[in-house]
Amino acid sequence: MRNKKRVWIIGIIVTLAVILIPTIYFLPKENKRSDDPWENLPLHPVHTDHTAIIEDRGPFETGPDVTRVCLECHENSASEMMATAHWTWESKPYDIEGRDEPVTVGKKNQMNNFCIGIQSNWSGCTSCHAGYGWDSADYDFSNEQNVDCLACHDTTGTYVKSTSGLPAEGVDLLDVAKNVGIPSRENCGSCHFKGGGGNAVKHGDLDETLYYPPDRVDVHMGKHDFLCTDCHKTEAHLVSGRSISVSLDTENQIACTDCHSEELHEDERINVHLDSVACQTCHIPEAATRDATKMYWDWSTAGNDSIEESTHEYLKIKGSFVYESDFVPEYRWYNGTADRYLIGDTMNPEEVTSMNLPLGDINDTTARIFPFKVHRGKQPYDTVYNYFLQPKTVGEGGFWTEFDWDLALRLGSEEIDMAYSGEYDFAETEMFWPTTHMVASADQALTCGYCHGDESRMDWEALGYYGDPIDWGGRFSAKR
Amino acid sequence: MMSSKNKSKISRLRFFSLLLAAVFLLIGVSSALAEGGDPPPEEPKTPESSPLHPTFPLLDENGENVLDTGNPVSTMNTCGACHDAEFIETHSYHANAGLDDMVPAGETPTERAWDTSPGFFGTWNPIAYRYLSPAGDERADLTTPEWIMLFGSRHPGGGPAVYSQSGEMLTELAYSANSLESNIVNAETGELEKWDWEKSGVVKMNCFLCHIPEPNNDARKAALTNGDFKWANTATLLGTGIVEEAGDEFTWNEAAFTQEKELVQEFVAIQDPEDPNCGVCHGLVHDNVEDPLVMDGCSPERWTTITTGQIISSQRLSDSGMNLADKETLSRTWDAHAERQLECTDCHYALNNPLYYQEGSATRPEHLIFDPRRLEVGEYLEKPLHQFARGDSAQSMVSPNVKDTMRTCVDCHSTESTHDWLPYKDRHINALSCESCHIPKLYSSANEQYDWTVIDINGNAQTQCRGAEGDPGVNTLLTGYEPVLLPRENADGSTKLVPHNLITTWFWVYGEDERPVPLRDLKLVYLENDSYAPDILAAFDANADGMLDDSELLIDSEEKSALIIKGLEALGLDNPRIAGEIQPYSIHHDVATSEWATNDCQTCHSQNTRLTQEIELSGYSPIGAKADFVPGSNVVFDGEIYENEDGALFYKPAPDKENLYILGADKVNWIDAFGLWAFIGVILGVGLHGGLRIYAHYKNPPHETKTKRVYMYSVYERFWHWLQTAAIVILLITGMIIHNPDSYILFKFSGVVITHNVVATILAVNAAFSLFYHLASGEIKQYIPEPKGFFNQILTQGTYYMKGIFKGEEHPTEKDPEHKLNPLQQVTYDMILNVLLPLQGITGILIWGAQRFPNLTNALGGLPFLAPFHTLIAWLFASFIVMHVYLTTTGHTPLAGIASMIHGWDDVEVHNHDAE
Repeated sequence: MRNKKRVWIIGIIVTLAVILIPTIYFLPKENKRSDDPWENLPLHPVHTDHTAIIEDRGPFETGPDVTRVCLECHENSASEMMATAHWTWESKPYDIEGRDEPVTVGKKNQMNNFCIGIQSNWSGCTSCHAGYGWDSADYDFSNEQNVDCLACHDTTGTYVKSTSGLPAEGVDLLDVAKNVGIPSRENCGSCHFKGGGGNAVKHGDLDETLYYPPDRVDVHMGKHDFLCTDCHKTEAHLVSGRSISVSLDTENQIACTDCHSEELHEDERINVHLDSVACQTCHIPEAATRDATKMYWDWSTAGNDSIEESTHEYLKIKGSFVYESDFVPEYRWYNGTADRYLIGDTMNPEEVTSMNLPLGDINDTTARIFPFKVHRGKQPYDTVYNYFLQPKTVGEGGFWTEFDWDLALRLGSEEIDMAYSGEYDFAETEMFWPTTHMVASADQALTCGYCHGDESRMDWEALGYYGDPIDWGGRFSAKR
Repeated sequence: MMSSKNKSKISRLRFFSLLLAAVFLLIGVSSALAEGGDPPPEEPKTPESSPLHPTFPLLDENGENVLDTGNPVSTMNTCGACHDAEFIETHSYHANAGLDDMVPAGETPTERAWDTSPGFFGTWNPIAYRYLSPAGDERADLTTPEWIMLFGSRHPGGGPAVYSQSGEMLTELAYSANSLESNIVNAETGELEKWDWEKSGVVKMNCFLCHIPEPNNDARKAALTNGDFKWANTATLLGTGIVEEAGDEFTWNEAAFTQEKELVQEFVAIQDPEDPNCGVCHGLVHDNVEDPLVMDGCSPERWTTITTGQIISSQRLSDSGMNLADKETLSRTWDAHAERQLECTDCHYALNNPLYYQEGSATRPEHLIFDPRRLEVGEYLEKPLHQFARGDSAQSMVSPNVKDTMRTCVDCHSTESTHDWLPYKDRHINALSCESCHIPKLYSSANEQYDWTVIDINGNAQTQCRGAEGDPGVNTLLTGYEPVLLPRENADGSTKLVPHNLITTWFWVYGEDERPVPLRDLKLVYLENDSYAPDILAAFDANADGMLDDSELLIDSEEKSALIIKGLEALGLDNPRIAGEIQPYSIHHDVATSEWATNDCQTCHSQNTRLTQEIELSGYSPIGAKADFVPGSNVVFDGEIYENEDGALFYKPAPDKENLYILGADKVNWIDAFGLWAFIGVILGVGLHGGLRIYAHYKNPPHETKTKRVYMYSVYERFWHWLQTAAIVILLITGMIIHNPDSYILFKFSGVVITHNVVATILAVNAAFSLFYHLASGEIKQYIPEPKGFFNQILTQGTYYMKGIFKGEEHPTEKDPEHKLNPLQQVTYDMILNVLLPLQGITGILIWGAQRFPNLTNALGGLPFLAPFHTLIAWLFASFIVMHVYLTTTGHTPLAGIASMIHGWDDVEVHNHDAE
């Protein structure tokens, strides 16, 4: 009997195998779906309810009171946090071509072409510092108690920071501490959406529309309901991501291809673009689609009583502005790194000085064409030493109260030990902000005609091509 | 020579040229008013403007500079100074428009009694209605001058706008009082009156229309309509700054010319024809991705676009400004080629353009793939053929010698790597044009019907539009339409299904030599003082509101018909009657990329197959009228025109008449009915037989038979049997799904087809091995009946099944390893193995071979014969299996036969005579 059963089973298996194996072999191969992007998303474990843990530890008088309690359990958190740019506001030292010594860059020690620099203006700028009490050059960066846990972990939406990064008056620190959680859009957005001092001012691709964005504005945060930290994955308080205003390398950078396959377009013609064109170039067709962002800031007109004030055009303390929304970004070769104007670098007042020129060109195979918001402006420089000057704007003797450039520049220069000749003027600068957030839904991606043909938004010759590569060939083409 | 990149430069150039003109004017004025003044501003530099085309003087008809004479520009003299204008004009079907191919009325392929050429000049356009009257017609509709006035704006000049039908210059034509070339019809009296060709001049071929950006066709049209023929080409330049219009006069703007009286370089904007140039006549071209494209439904000024609804634009549908249904989901572009920056001339190039020309395979020696010998660019520029590469569109009959000269889809696109997913790729590609799947839908609207049996108060036909809902205008919801797929005989000899729009026209004809009733006469019957005549209103105005709406303005009763006939007869028109015709318009543009193309097998391979999807021809038919297809086109109409219960006319294509048998969609009903009854019959038969056996079993318990255990089937025999069983069952099931996919929606059609093919191959290989085994082992003799007493044995066996089995008798044929089959089985298996199986195999291979060796398949009947035949045999196989399985139960126990085929051992009856 056992024999019979074996014959049955073997017979069936062999017969089916003879039929199924060739059939399956010849069945049409479905186009394999590209790697599932969802697999790369971090899981968000349910956050422990801290109400009972914190309840009896309050009330809290100051921010550091809260931090001390946090650190009782989360012993390493402060030291982890203190190793990151959110605390130091400064990069690690880099060796840079043409400079003798390694340099560090960041808000802490360099300039931009918005409010120019935090030095001598600490208390006004550091309300966004993830720490408490930074109001002078002497700030103690080693004091763990000054780490501000709540800025990133508040879930109540009632935690507000004020001058020098201290909690604003009226914040119920106990309530906030009881309700800590993983960082939400609100935590990141309260500083990053307001870069430059107000909603949408600085970036052009980060503003308060991202709290509740439509799919057309941001497909990740809209349609797919992402958190910032879904892409800016965070380990040991080190938030991934790099921006060329702060960083000079690409370590820990985020890329679309971290989740998306490199060859996910059905159309081969599009896939071959990826050697030279960044995803963002086509998938972020316009920047600042909803809220206008600052494109131009001319400090030279500041302090003039005869110009009428208007938040988005002229403020006496700041000068003249131009805001734009829904604009076409500027396109540059970009290999992920940038040059950086450092305090004390001589400049040519006749030329536009780039604060952070993106690096890469048509011959750099690691570079792609990338979209940027370019913020242009005029800011003060020393006409004798030919370098940009750091004005003191906030506080006693600052420009915003005295409207005296000479005084403001003198005070600012003293704070950073720079010689100031007493002669100043204003020179043009530009600063590049990579347009990388607010990825629109795929049905809005650029089609061929936006870059190729008569209506091209690309200046092909400026990018180093002989002409439109649809006719003249791309950079890897034999035609070049 | 110029390429797309220069377009933007040219528009820049235009801006600068206007600026320059303004600056020059300003300088002129200011220097006239006062000496000195500001130094002239720096001349704007536009070095990239039309960089290679030299500047030139504009010459008039006599070869003199227009600045001297103030005369209209002569393109033939101006452009002809360098380019061989005469060659160009005589090698241009655009210009000739059929003039060289004029035939006596009624002898064109269209067989219309009033058509006189295969071209635009002489072929009736039912949408425009007016027609060039054949020579000799007493009641003329359009004479030659009137044709130019009316249709000249759709014609680039030259040909019939310069020469008479006998080949003389129109300006030199001898006057004849009844000639339809030297007279026009007086609008009031209907009488012929002399046309002064000398005064009007003629319309020479207009180079500017295609070779400058933004030619002014409106001004040209105005000049033509006014009969100012000689100024028409000059009018095209209005807006460029070269010429200006003051009052009725054109004056040359001296600021646009140098001291040598040549055009200032900045005004030389000569270019290769760009899409908008072609679009002036050929339909809506929109070459800007950002400005929303706008067109209301069936907009009459878009007279070419609305014949099909094709819109040439690189814009996404969702970004357009049109009121499209489900617009937000339509992320495709209007035209994939426009999206990818192709231009009209990339496919429709001048046939001797050295950049594009490639010798067709018909005349090219086989050893050559590419012939590098070409015209020099200079030679080409002197004599550029203005015969442009074109396809096989049904609506276009002019210049048949250049039909199918353009590169087709597969000349640029490889289907090798891209269509591997498509089973039977070659078969599909041989039967279907690429457009059949890649233009699944037109998203805009198109015309469906023109009813000229009635006219509105502006003298226009009652029209119907497809793909649009609601009243015409910006509120129209554009739902688009799916074109009908019609077999078309292409010039290369292939016949393929191609998407088409069909436009139906109804109109009055009169006379023995049939002619459409001239519009003038229709107006006389219908209208009086710019409104409807009282008797018309009385007959047509059903709701008596003093107006005729769409539901009233149609000939839907004998009374209305009689009234119009009476009116027409009163005008002297003999035997007025309603005719109808249907014109096909081929669709080749608005191609979709793979994502938007048809790629679901069941779109076609199902009962509601797309291939026979009908299209509405007309929402109604005027009473007593029939419409037929215009003869002479290359489209095959073997489908059916039918009327639904609401009176709307439809056309349903019948691709099966084109040797197309669409698996899953086509069936031969009697075969399925016969097969099903055979199958049911066998089941009933064995059911009855089995029932009787059970009954008999209890009534006459069978006598105990002695059995002995015999090793009946070797391992191999059992293996090949069960493999064959599994294969046949799978083949039957998959075959059933392929035959009727609608009932098995769980299965993917293409997967089922592949499974069917693979399993069929396994079956064939298995059969071959098995045959070898039987031959080699000598087992074949099992199947060979012993001739001696064969019929008696069959009879005995048959009688046993009919009688003995019920009585519990022993089997008449002894079963042992050397005699596994009884004679009846031998016959049955021989039939199956020698007849059914080979037939099924051969038909199957031939069906599969429709892809590999279509000629053989077609020679043996083609799919329409082979496929139903294959189905029939499948039914017989299914019936056989039922019978076969049933007969296995007739052993000494019902399951003994099956069991022995599994483990090889059978308990065979030991017959008495053996025991003796």
